[in-house]
Amino acid sequence: MASVAELKAAIDVALQQIGEGQTAVQAAGEKLAEAQQTLAGALEGSGHETVEAAQASLTQASQELEECLAATLVAVEQAQLYVSTL
Amino acid sequence: MSIIEDVGAGVRAAAEEFPLAQLTVALEKFGQATERLRWVRQESANPMGVPELSAATEHAESAGHALRVAQEQLSAYLAAIGLAPDGAPAPRPDGDRRPAHDAPRDAPPPVAAPPPAAGDDNPVLRRWWAVRVAELTGGREGAPDEPDERIGDSRELLRRVADGVRAGDRDRLHRELRAAHADVGLGLAAIAPPLLRELAGELLGHPPRADDLARLRRELDGRIRDLLPGLPPPVLDTLLTRVCRMPPPQRSGEQPHAADPAVTAGVVTGVLLARLGRDLPRDADDPAAAGTGAAGNPAGNRAGADRPAGAARAGLGGNSAGNGSARRGSDG
Repeated sequence: MASVAELKAAIDVALQQIGEGQTAVQAAGEKLAEAQQTLAGALEGSGHETVEAAQASLTQASQELEECLAATLVAVEQAQLYVSTL
Repeated sequence: MSIIEDVGAGVRAAAEEFPLAQLTVALEKFGQATERLRWVRQESANPMGVPELSAATEHAESAGHALRVAQEQLSAYLAAIGLAPDGAPAPRPDGDRRPAHDAPRDAPPPVAAPPPAAGDDNPVLRRWWAVRVAELTGGREGAPDEPDERIGDSRELLRRVADGVRAGDRDRLHRELRAAHADVGLGLAAIAPPLLRELAGELLGHPPRADDLARLRRELDGRIRDLLPGLPPPVLDTLLTRVCRMPPPQRSGEQPHAADPAVTAGVVTGVLLARLGRDLPRDADDPAAAGTGAAGNPAGNRAGADRPAGAARAGLGGNSAGNGSARRGSDG
């Protein structure tokens, strides 16, 4: 049977992994913003259907990243709250 | 460099900046954290942030899918303006080349120029899902074909996979899996795991736990290898540890292909259904509807409860193009 200390340690590791994931998501968001800018510059004036669809996909990706980050913040909060009750 | 080539270079530069590598890292970390928290909370009613983390994983997966869709759309655009994705002039159309894209079903169809020839070794334009299925099942990839629109959702695909497994027909299994849209196929990873844990519980006579891992592996490994000869062994191991609510095995550092966990989850479900002589429940999203005996155990229900609302939606990314968002999710 695991001790409270072991549980806390395991949750701490999980929190650290979430933090690393958050860092990666933030980096992804920054890189995506750069890609969107590059693309906008290259395709300025294009009304091609697939270009618009691609830009919509990138906007969607950006929103998903934001929601991803928001969800991780809640997850961290929940896990920390649980640790405080142990 | 002509103006057109200049535009193409700009588009390619943007596509190369897509942060797929960062997303892979994020998904790996979230997956590890989820498994660890799940392990900690096995007997606890406190969700400890696991549902939120599952939701985060889903969003990250959706983002990745949207990026891949955008890559395909940009490749279609380059083809439309007469450039191949590598910058060379696009090959001239001949014969009856057919689109090989694997865009979400609701996405606008690629317009104008034809895609590269069927034999082109262009990972962006080829149907990556079908290619990977061929590798996993040991089948021949064959000529690119259109996804089967009759396989409208992941449940339908799971039913077909289960039928193929029951028939012991690897070619049929290959065909059914390969004919699915990528988002439908990836959705297997969302709908199969809750059912898997329940079926494994029925096979074992109790909810799967850590010390059942070896037995489950013994029961399933041979059959899975037979049906999926190209499957990297760690994928099945990871799936079974999840079924047993254990921390994931140490990874060698190489991420599995996105299709692997989904295909594996679907095929293992089919194998268990066949082993138990069961049919797919009418509502595969609801493990409680699956059956009897240990199937209705609280642990099995909890497996489903871990998932946030909407987690079992069956289309991965169709978000970007209007589909549902599907998920490997941390359950699967």
